[in-house]
Amino acid sequence: MDWNNQYIHSVVMLVAITVAFLTIMLLVAFTVLAERRVLGFIQGRLGPNRVGPGGILQPFADFIKTMVKEDLVPDQSTRFVFLLAPMIAVITAMMAIIVYPFGPTITLPFLGTFPLRIAQFDVALLYVLGVTSVGVYGIALAGWSSNNKYSLMGGLRSSAQMISYELSLGLSLVGVVIMSGTLDIYHIVEQQSGWFGMHWNIIYQPLGFIIYLISAIAETNRVPFDLPEAETELVAGFHTEYSSIKFLLFFNAEYINMITVSMLATTLFLGGWNGPGVAQFPLLGVLYFFAKILFFLFLYIWLRGTLPRFRFDQLMSFGWKFLLPVAILNIILTATLAMFGWI
Amino acid sequence: MISSLLFILFAGMAIGCAVSVVVQRHPLYGAISLVGVFISLACLYVTLAAPFIAAVQVIVYAGAIMVLVVFVIMLLNVQREERRRPRLRFLVGAAVALAGVLFAEAAFIIYFVQASPATPRNNASDIGLTFSIGTGLFTQYLLPFEITSLLLLMAIVGAMTLARSGGLLRPNLAVVPGAQVLAPDVINPRAPAGAGLIVTTTSDEAARVLGVEGTHRVRDEE
Repeated sequence: MDWNNQYIHSVVMLVAITVAFLTIMLLVAFTVLAERRVLGFIQGRLGPNRVGPGGILQPFADFIKTMVKEDLVPDQSTRFVFLLAPMIAVITAMMAIIVYPFGPTITLPFLGTFPLRIAQFDVALLYVLGVTSVGVYGIALAGWSSNNKYSLMGGLRSSAQMISYELSLGLSLVGVVIMSGTLDIYHIVEQQSGWFGMHWNIIYQPLGFIIYLISAIAETNRVPFDLPEAETELVAGFHTEYSSIKFLLFFNAEYINMITVSMLATTLFLGGWNGPGVAQFPLLGVLYFFAKILFFLFLYIWLRGTLPRFRFDQLMSFGWKFLLPVAILNIILTATLAMFGWI
Repeated sequence: MISSLLFILFAGMAIGCAVSVVVQRHPLYGAISLVGVFISLACLYVTLAAPFIAAVQVIVYAGAIMVLVVFVIMLLNVQREERRRPRLRFLVGAAVALAGVLFAEAAFIIYFVQASPATPRNNASDIGLTFSIGTGLFTQYLLPFEITSLLLLMAIVGAMTLARSGGLLRPNLAVVPGAQVLAPDVINPRAPAGAGLIVTTTSDEAARVLGVEGTHRVRDEE
């Protein structure tokens, strides 16, 4: 089949986007279930196990239940912004997905050879950072438009936190960019395919990886950095006033963000779809890719089950006075080593 | 065909959002519209084969600067602007004249671009790539680049200094004469707690201790 034909190409793109969308939505649904089950396990209880075998249909039951609830809009809220905020949150969360390669170039019977990615372009990494930084508006505007003090505090905290940790998140990636000499995520993944698929960037960038991991957890507002929705202080933070499908959108956005930062960590530091045996069996790459993502998602849940929450001033001083200088140090180290040609 | 459709779409979005920035009475709506302008401009840059500029436009303007603006508007809880009689009515004529000049300029440029013979540049699509921008910045344009970064550093230091000195007091506050008892962390936010109170007996001394000399009225005559 001629994959370069313009019309076939657009159809293939549409199919690829649909597949990616459905995959991500299913992944979100089962991450929510896994979170509840694993948290239950950590806390010595069962968790939801009634709907379907082992509770596997629980997310769908929750989905239907939340959808049919009443869609409340606070009386004194600014309606347009109130509606706009969850849309911004979920759209920006999803837009980042298109740049990640799910697997290597594969050959299927009857279909021919094609690469398992949606988009590949020169500034893919900057695109991810840009889309993520626009996502702050969703939360900030939600907090503001609800006309509720808890929501406003949650929105303010969240925007402050995301702006602060975005810096160290971006800087922690610069080490990888210096090493690979490109911002194209597909090329960065391809460069890590040596040593039987184990030539991962984390070997050269352990510090960058740790900084990235911490900032990514803060960026997605997860425990121990879940200050924006600290239940004991702020009821539910920025989405206190949201119900029904709008709440669902925020909920989705949070989990999609978790998945996309896991994808970024996987592609930049853990070799993406690379692993032993991918050169012989390319389809194995897809398996490796998702296994690595699932590992990160498990890590998120594990942290939530075991760590207490930071205080807000601790969070800020940790981000600005510790994480940021360490990230800059990492850049200087990497640049020095790269200048002498040691990496 | 498709590219001109995209141009019309994004240019229309940019113009619509720009009009909205001016027309909106609420500062937050204006700020959101400005974000819309920046994002539409970024889309236009992509269609002009400058993906790096587009990404930087979104990260710096939409993602950092405007977030700060929105943040401040939220923090101060700025209300809807009151509709009152415009005081600067005499400027309307000047604005119309300047707008006329602007449109004439645009028409002039469009006319001459259309009239000039088409000369395709070599590798026009490579100029906007990260590699060519980086190479240019660190070889041919190194000096301007370094000067810009020094300028930004100076701006950061200046902002810090301005925020530190008397930044905790509003500028329209007056320093009143008499004994003033001030907690040390009012004067210096970094002061350790429990360092003892500071007592000033004259307003000059109070102004000096507060670090607001010259910026605040000192009411000694009353």
